[in-house]
Amino acid sequence: MNRTTTKMALLLALVLLSGLYACALKASMATRHPLEITALPLCSECHTDGRSVVDHTADFIDRHRFIAEQQSRTCNLCHKESFCSSCHGHNGELKPSDRFKDSPELTLPHRGDYLNQHKIDGRINPAACMKCHGRSNNVRCGVCHK
Amino acid sequence: MNRWNVQQSTSAVFVRKAAAFLAALALLSAPALTAALTLSGDSSTYVQSRQLSDKTRVIGGYEYLDFMVQDLGSDTISFHTGGWLRYDFKGEEYGKRPNDDLQYSYLSFKSKRDNTAVNLGRVMVFEGVAAERVDGMYARTDLKGGIGVSAFAGQPVETNDTFPGNNLIYGARVSQQWQGVYRIGVSALKEEKNSTDYRKEGGVDLWVHPLTKVDITGRSTYNDVTKGWMEHAYTLMLGPFARLRLDTSVSMINYDDYFFRTTTPVFTLTPGVVTPHERMRMAGETVMFSATDKLSLNADYRNYDYSIAGRADYYGGSIKFSMPESGGAGASYHRMKGETKALQYNEYRLYGYKKIAKIGITLDAIDVVYDVPMNGVKDSYALSLAADYALMNGLKLGGDVEFSHTPDFDRDVRALIKVLYHFGAKGGA
Repeated sequence: MNRTTTKMALLLALVLLSGLYACALKASMATRHPLEITALPLCSECHTDGRSVVDHTADFIDRHRFIAEQQSRTCNLCHKESFCSSCHGHNGELKPSDRFKDSPELTLPHRGDYLNQHKIDGRINPAACMKCHGRSNNVRCGVCHK
Repeated sequence: MNRWNVQQSTSAVFVRKAAAFLAALALLSAPALTAALTLSGDSSTYVQSRQLSDKTRVIGGYEYLDFMVQDLGSDTISFHTGGWLRYDFKGEEYGKRPNDDLQYSYLSFKSKRDNTAVNLGRVMVFEGVAAERVDGMYARTDLKGGIGVSAFAGQPVETNDTFPGNNLIYGARVSQQWQGVYRIGVSALKEEKNSTDYRKEGGVDLWVHPLTKVDITGRSTYNDVTKGWMEHAYTLMLGPFARLRLDTSVSMINYDDYFFRTTTPVFTLTPGVVTPHERMRMAGETVMFSATDKLSLNADYRNYDYSIAGRADYYGGSIKFSMPESGGAGASYHRMKGETKALQYNEYRLYGYKKIAKIGITLDAIDVVYDVPMNGVKDSYALSLAADYALMNGLKLGGDVEFSHTPDFDRDVRALIKVLYHFGAKGGA
């Protein structure tokens, strides 16, 4: 595809998107959940649309990334960036499980003796480590892994 | 620079940053400027004492601050920032590490229509294939026909990044949904470093709700540099049926395509660390049963099948009892049964927490018993006791002690004290 064709395609896409935007005119979603949530929420008790998958069940830690990637606005109803960054830091220092030791009911990574356990977890599924430590939050990895 | 000078320099930087923060806080608190502002945030101060593998003890002080200003001239504009500082009271772990970090900091505009939003600054982006932290811009909006579009661009915020030259990341996601039935997204990102294509990734993500009590969610991602699928990961959720839920997960990861362009040698494809050409398939089932509103029982099973390293099974169960605002307890057992000695162990956990008036107490015990001892240790455990006291509304003092016996430490004692303060005020009268 030559440059003129690319420019034409981008211009057409822009015009199309502008038209779709002009016709949308829907009220934005609330930025805060109207009811106070005091326990781990089961969204499906009230919502039958895509928010039903946001139920904070026992395996939510494994699939919460899908929710964040697909509908982060739903997460933002209850959680702000500070909540995400408390585990997903760029240069984390304190382990989340050290900061929140008084919340044992939360499923947090790295509880207990993680110095030895990380060798095991890293062998089972290193992709799970890569998500947080692949390109950020890995200063501490470099102490041993040079 | 000798150790004393390093320490002096660290404290000087700490003081300067603290002063800058207080000045900013004072400025924002000035009555003339806060006529309609809503300020809120959390300050978490920690002092942690821990031992290094060479038996030296380090004591570090940390300040984690998250701060939000809403209604900046208009109720659609807000400012969000969060970061941390560290001060080394004793010892400096691992040499000259960074002693601060800005996690996020951006100005946000959110329209009252079409979920249009624009964030400028250090933003976190979670859109399809992108899970990035970027110094730049993120924008999204809804269009007609259930279509949503988002885009981001800027400089990637990465650790240990030593590439010279340009450093740019950008990407977009387009999604389309039929409310209550499905949502499908297509996304792509490109990262350029030193005028070369460093990363080129694409992905498809979806949520499908074909029947009542049936949901499927997941994603597939493709590496356009290595020309291979990085990951397929999907979960089928069934329920609730009375008090029962079942989640089935499957995933597949191609190591050569997934472990690509990392900023740490840990994830470079090296035999014995992350095996080159390895392909991992995982299939798992989680069964959740809510016996009452306060009592739940879960059973889970994961099967890991590797093209080179063989296979492993991880299975077990847990029981949880919780009374919101009052306390709770839990216990779990899991068995890892792999083909290598390191992947053969039993894992136990028992915890309880109780709130009595303004006092909270937590006990937590984790025990891992290896089939074959590691460094001569068969039983690795960690016991922790935590307590906190709500001094006043928004202000909490706490502390914890953890004792552990592990393959790396015969006896390790860690202690942490913390002061947590939540502040928030509606400006103006």
